[in-house]
Amino acid sequence: MRRLAQVLRASAWLGWQVEANWAEPILFIVYAVAKPLATTLILYFMVKVVSQGSATSETFRYIFIGNTFFIYVTEVLIGISWTVFRDREDYETLKYIYVAPLRLLPYLTGRAFTRVGTATIGVLVALAFGRIVLGLSVGVPGTNWFLVAAAVLLGLMGVLWLGIILAGTSLVVARHSMNLNEGLSGLFFLLCGAVFPLDVLPHWARAISLALPFTYWLELLRRMLTGRGFAAILAGMSDGALWGVIALSTVALCALALVWFSWCERTARERGLIDWKTNY
Amino acid sequence: MAPRGDARHPGLSRLLRMNLAAVYARASVRVKASFRESSWVIGETIFPFLAMSAFVLVYRGLKAPREYEGFVVLGGAMIAYWNNVIWGMASQFFWEREQGQLQLYLITPVSRMSILLGMALGGIAMTTTRAAAILIGGTLLFHVDFPLSRALPAFGLFVLTLGAAYSLGMILSSLFLLWGREVWHTATILQEPIYLFSGFYFPVSAMGLGIAIAASILPVTLGLDGIRQVFYGPAAHGLLPLPWIPPIQIALTAFFLYIAGVMLRYMENLGKQEGRLTVRGD
Repeated sequence: MRRLAQVLRASAWLGWQVEANWAEPILFIVYAVAKPLATTLILYFMVKVVSQGSATSETFRYIFIGNTFFIYVTEVLIGISWTVFRDREDYETLKYIYVAPLRLLPYLTGRAFTRVGTATIGVLVALAFGRIVLGLSVGVPGTNWFLVAAAVLLGLMGVLWLGIILAGTSLVVARHSMNLNEGLSGLFFLLCGAVFPLDVLPHWARAISLALPFTYWLELLRRMLTGRGFAAILAGMSDGALWGVIALSTVALCALALVWFSWCERTARERGLIDWKTNY
Repeated sequence: MAPRGDARHPGLSRLLRMNLAAVYARASVRVKASFRESSWVIGETIFPFLAMSAFVLVYRGLKAPREYEGFVVLGGAMIAYWNNVIWGMASQFFWEREQGQLQLYLITPVSRMSILLGMALGGIAMTTTRAAAILIGGTLLFHVDFPLSRALPAFGLFVLTLGAAYSLGMILSSLFLLWGREVWHTATILQEPIYLFSGFYFPVSAMGLGIAIAASILPVTLGLDGIRQVFYGPAAHGLLPLPWIPPIQIALTAFFLYIAGVMLRYMENLGKQEGRLTVRGD
């Protein structure tokens, strides 16, 4: 365990250097928060322009919470698989992991921690921006903040394992497949109802949405932070049921990720893809 | 004095032919490359369409008038071009340097502007297929209405907007010429924040007159605002009177092209002096 912690720490530190040492910390933070703040403001103005200046703060609050916590999905999912392509093809360092006393999976997990860190900065700044600048109340008197933190962590674990699945895939595909990983994040953004109620989705899309763990995760966070649900089709589910779905799907994603990543890594080594260069 | 038309001092007609050939060559590479890799076509068509769909559904969830969904579809199509300006124009010399090809461009006896113009024309051709897919998909899937009787003036304004936007891309290209990893982050920061300030998903006037006017330095802001006014009239909540927009776009194009020429020469010379034009893996 101590060795694992050491690897996670070292690779997270390396990830931080790769991500952040091109700029002064303040400038880096500006870059890190620009995207989430911009998306928040886009949604704010969309709601404002429709409601002719009397933006329905309650509706916007649901949209805001979904969009803010979805930052984790985008950052971490794309980040882990991007790490594989960058290390393999740009820095050409992926092969050196195999001559160092560590395994690839913990290394990539550590690198993902950096993305979790930058995403957390984005989430916290967006929440603060919503509270201070947009005057949104985040949380209700009954909000249990320990449970909120636990729910965020549980959802984040699911995102991490899904990221590992994509990283495994990245080991055996060419660099230009990266946009498929980015697209997956866009697909989740659409189907999880991150910024709109699921009820406006067509019926067939709703069925897919209900098969995605992040749908339940965002609904749970909305209930905890606003005191009410957002998606009418999930109204029949208790909070406990939402917790159960998220926990079960996280375990399933973990199992699938371990098996899939192991297969992909073995295949990449057998086919000589660890130092593959496909950039054109 | 060197004779007219030799290799070091080509005559005007030869110079023109060489530059036109460079434009054609660079554009054709881009057009062919855009269909070579099917995952790119999917990545650049379907996935932006998904993001656009999410924003259409935001308006649907808010029970907004249907023309707002049209605003988003038009914005989604314009985003395809803006992303091409950022990743296919502004960042391109960075990629070329990383792959060791930048010096080959610099060796050739043609204007850098010709190479950039080729990139722009090829990029426009490539992106038009993506933007058309977004427009057609949005129209069919969300039943967005674009009055066809107004398509011609909208198209004219669209062409002027592209001219100004890609000219801005040429300026950015010269800036990005010498940068390292910050190119990635700067290109990223030129996405969502620009989607905000250009009003890709909502009428830019919603941000208030001061911010909207400041954002109009970006050609896509005024272009999109004008195109929406052409299609939807007063419902578009236009920022500036429609007749003002075409001359502004033409002026922006001329201004950006001039600045791009100056910047390219300056940055290239600076890169040579500092020995940064061949730096790789930065």
